[in-house]
Amino acid sequence: MPPHRDEDDDVDEDYDGLELEEEEERGSRGGSKKKRARSDYVDDYADEDSEEDDDDDEDYDGRGGKGGKGGAKRKKSSASIFLDSEAHQVDDEDEEEEEEGEDDFIEHGTDLPDERVERRRYHERGFDEENNEDVEDLERRIQERYSRHHEEYDEEATDVEQQALLPSVRDPKLWMVKCAIGREREVAVCLMQKFIDKRSELQIRSVVALDHLKSYIYVEADKEAHVKEAIKGMRNIFTNQKILLVPIREMTDVLAVESKAIDLSRDTWVRMKIGTYKGDLAKVDDVDDVRQRVTVKLIPRIDLQALASKLDGREVAKKKAFVPPPRFMNIDEARELHIRVERRRDPRTGDYFENIDGMRFKDGFLYKNVSLKSITALNVTPTFDELEKFNKPSENGESDFGGLSTLFANRKKGHFMKGDAVIVIKGDLKNLKGWVEKVDEENVLIKSEMKGLPDPLAVNEKELCKYFEPGNHVKVVSGTHEGATGMVVKVDQHVLIILSDTTKEHVRVFADHVVKSSEVTTGVTKIGEYELHDLVLLDNMTFGVIIRLENEAFQVLKGVPDRPEVALVKLREIKCKLDRKIGGQDRYKNVINVNDGVRVIEGPSKGKQGPVRHIYKGVLFIYDRHHLEHAGFICAKSTSCVVVGGSRSGANRNGGDRFSNFKAPAPVPSSPRRFQPGGRGMGYNGGGRGRGGRGGGENSLLGTTVKIRLGRFKGYRGPVVEVKGDSVRVELEMKIVTVNRDAISDNVAATTTSRDTSRYSMGSETPMHPSRTPLHPYMTPMRDSGATPIHDGMRTPMRDRAWNPYTPMSPPRDNWEDGNPGSWGTSPQYQPGSPPSRAYEAPTPGSGWASTPGGSYSDAGTPRDHGSTYSNAPSPYLPSTPGQPMTPSSTSYLPGTPGGQPMTPGTGLDVMSPVIGGDAEAWFMPDILVEIHKAGEESNVGVIRDVSDGTCKVSLGSSGEGDTIMAIPSELEIVPPRKNDRVKIVGGQFRGSIGKLIGIDGSDGIVKIEDNLDVKILDLAILAKFVQL
Amino acid sequence: MFFHIVLERNMQLHPRFFGRNLRENLVSKLMKDVEGTCSGRHGFVVAITGIETIGKGLIRDGTGFVTFPVKYQCVVFRPFKGEILEAVVTLVNKMGFFAEAGPVQIFVSKHLIPDDMEFQTGDMPNYTTSDGSVKIQKECEVRLKIIGTRVDATEIFCVGTIKDDFLGVINDPAAS
Repeated sequence: MPPHRDEDDDVDEDYDGLELEEEEERGSRGGSKKKRARSDYVDDYADEDSEEDDDDDEDYDGRGGKGGKGGAKRKKSSASIFLDSEAHQVDDEDEEEEEEGEDDFIEHGTDLPDERVERRRYHERGFDEENNEDVEDLERRIQERYSRHHEEYDEEATDVEQQALLPSVRDPKLWMVKCAIGREREVAVCLMQKFIDKRSELQIRSVVALDHLKSYIYVEADKEAHVKEAIKGMRNIFTNQKILLVPIREMTDVLAVESKAIDLSRDTWVRMKIGTYKGDLAKVDDVDDVRQRVTVKLIPRIDLQALASKLDGREVAKKKAFVPPPRFMNIDEARELHIRVERRRDPRTGDYFENIDGMRFKDGFLYKNVSLKSITALNVTPTFDELEKFNKPSENGESDFGGLSTLFANRKKGHFMKGDAVIVIKGDLKNLKGWVEKVDEENVLIKSEMKGLPDPLAVNEKELCKYFEPGNHVKVVSGTHEGATGMVVKVDQHVLIILSDTTKEHVRVFADHVVKSSEVTTGVTKIGEYELHDLVLLDNMTFGVIIRLENEAFQVLKGVPDRPEVALVKLREIKCKLDRKIGGQDRYKNVINVNDGVRVIEGPSKGKQGPVRHIYKGVLFIYDRHHLEHAGFICAKSTSCVVVGGSRSGANRNGGDRFSNFKAPAPVPSSPRRFQPGGRGMGYNGGGRGRGGRGGGENSLLGTTVKIRLGRFKGYRGPVVEVKGDSVRVELEMKIVTVNRDAISDNVAATTTSRDTSRYSMGSETPMHPSRTPLHPYMTPMRDSGATPIHDGMRTPMRDRAWNPYTPMSPPRDNWEDGNPGSWGTSPQYQPGSPPSRAYEAPTPGSGWASTPGGSYSDAGTPRDHGSTYSNAPSPYLPSTPGQPMTPSSTSYLPGTPGGQPMTPGTGLDVMSPVIGGDAEAWFMPDILVEIHKAGEESNVGVIRDVSDGTCKVSLGSSGEGDTIMAIPSELEIVPPRKNDRVKIVGGQFRGSIGKLIGIDGSDGIVKIEDNLDVKILDLAILAKFVQL
Repeated sequence: MFFHIVLERNMQLHPRFFGRNLRENLVSKLMKDVEGTCSGRHGFVVAITGIETIGKGLIRDGTGFVTFPVKYQCVVFRPFKGEILEAVVTLVNKMGFFAEAGPVQIFVSKHLIPDDMEFQTGDMPNYTTSDGSVKIQKECEVRLKIIGTRVDATEIFCVGTIKDDFLGVINDPAAS
């Protein structure tokens, strides 16, 4: 409350200090002066108190005389401008003065100014002398004293002096006296009256009632007996209660002002702490310090319907959970609902308010009188939205971000740093720009260009705001956009508009929330495990690149090459991150790898160019920094792009013919990495053991009708159904033929076919094979000449192994070798990587056959792979082959064994079958968890339900709850069990048993078999996770 | 602003380029490598105008590549704050428009477009004055002032303004 009062109030206030001092009676204003100073900080007073004090005032005035009063008033006005800190000082001084009255101790200790000494003398004199001086004399002395005393305040008390002012053991003590609750002030006043009436008997020095302390008053006295004497017979004091001594240390605290008291003033932003409006932003409209209440302006949350029915006396269903949304009160609307609206004038402010059911509204806002306790002014940082809402209805043109002072109140320490550009926003120097030189607590020393100003200039921190100019590059350090960087494009008082570096969008921030920075960041770049620009797989099996992060959601540019499609997805809608490093091929069959520069040569994004960021399923995500949409990402088919700097003659240089690949597989060294693209993601398989090692141009060939120009199928035509490496699957326009098995003497046919068919979905496609098989024999010779296929295969056993599902590979190789012994000379050279196979190949075809599996084993490395390798073959093969005449289809179909059969149907088969069978069975048993890799689809987990004829019935889902599909073994892979999983043993002597994996030791698993509780150590490869359906 | 300066670069050359045309190969590779690139310090290298010196080649161990230190003169382009540029509008959206001055991309925020120009949506989004006399749309040429630059390793991005005297559209091919 401002300290402007009329004279009477002045005096009131003195008494409101509720201090009793001995010399008051004597008309000395010394005591009252002290009280004035105190009254400014102790409290402002309730009106009701002033009334009862009036008598005393009169009394006082009469005694004090006009002059004394005038002097006191002057003093008051000067003292009242002092801040809290001064008030403390004065407070201390008070005590000091009092003690001086008792003994001269202080005088020797400190250098007291003369006037103080004089005052003290007066003080002393006042004690024993009666007030017999004439009024003029009094007036003169008082004036003299105060006019001089005034200067005293200008002197800064040093720490030592301050220290000396603290109470000591010799000083009077403070006693806490219990009184009736709520009667503290009354008691104090009574004591004062008592003192006035019989001052000589009372030996207490002062009485203090504190507003924040209920049911206690403090009495200052030298002895407890004095206190007891004084309070004797008082109505509201419980004399039976013990009188407590306040320890010397705590004496100062009793009268110290709570310095952390929040200075609430008009237009301060606060937040409601309780009630319907909990958490809502409010603006302080008026503060009543006395009653500890504030009037705040709020956006009403009122359900007019409910209000209307309530006013009509109808029963309102109390729905606690429902809090009406904040909405401005529309008076007309209220009237329509027949709610009585009264227009009243507020007697204090003169403003008109609409009164509805006891609530006051103005301009749509609700004006609510609340307790100070129910609001918080700490750390209130209104958001833009809230501020805008508050500003909306006024619409007086100027965007009034008033109350910015509260925004500043929440600044962190070290808000300003040396070198910051700042602008003064308050006071005489408003709009002065400068640079921070030094920060000194609350004051900031700034340097300004303005001439004639002290340099540096000290300005209060609260009067400063950071200043930015358009074009500055800044970083947001707090608030909702924390972390973002950008360039300032507009400065609107304390609000900056920033062009974000990443999104190229405008961001509004407070100047206080940013710092200058040359750093470029993207703001929030991560939610969960997904980061900006990650390639992710979505729920519905689509995929895309995260191009933007929003609140708990991602914008994803989907992998649809035809048109840019952006989807907003939630975190939970993202299945996983795709970070496989796989390659692709461009239009000219150049290999594209991540980070290669490509240019889009057709489609909607034609002409765009940039590095490839992601490749998935033949779709490239290209980052073109000139592309402004979608964070610069472009989605394009790999075949509609060319690698910048790549050769465009991928096909031509191999012979200028589509099939030339077969003949002269690309000079391998030139593109060693081409093998990688053959990877899983592209749907190739390692089956390309015999393939040319280049997965080139499949897409361009796909679907075209070709004519076979060489080989047995010379002249046949058909559409290309699949391209894999350098084999092409052509669906010939030809009937399925059945020939006697013996008629197929050439293994090559079988092999090549198998090579050909080396793809996932063999089973279903069997019928096609017959026709296709022949294609290959003719090609084989080429291979031989080129020798590459073999070497390819051999060179990269690892890869083959990795792709094990494509069983056919190893046998085929052998087949060729058999069929074309001539090639053998060359092949070993190409197989440095796999000596074992070389060894096998060298011998006679027959033996070669027998050994092949072995060779392939060695290639493959992990037994498990082999399992899968063979698994294809066994079931279909065993039953069918031996007896029946071999149709091309069957041979081609059973890739694993083709080599074996033709050679020595009897022996080869026999030799192999047990092995195969065993293995195969080992692999696939019902109730185990497997991973399914279908061509062109994402891996799935499923549970095998049934195994028959080489195909497995698999129920999708980790517990088999999903759809049931048919899968061939090559598409399946056992999911390795983890510790403590229940496992099914799929191989070895315990095959079929169920146990618990109680430990893993390298590649061995320790299994406790459930049947007999034996603990066995078994190869992990023959353990599969058991799932009970 | 354009500058004609001398820069130096170590060129690595594959041995297959050795021979009579070594110098030509080196220069053409240099051009291919350098022209169009951007360095934060010098800006964009627009063109190589000449070769000052080609130092002695040094064979790299293990690869057979040879490194030549080459000093070359080139024209570089670097935008500066406060510079007035003419640029071609490439994209107009509600936040402002993007323009290009050669390799430099400049964004002019709507806050930096005169207040009387309003954004008009449509298949040809544009900013038009209330009387329709001036229209900023794609392909327009504008004169603008750069108020801020952000220099990355590989690009320079600028924020410009046309909210000043003598700035704005200078030629609209669509209108003519």
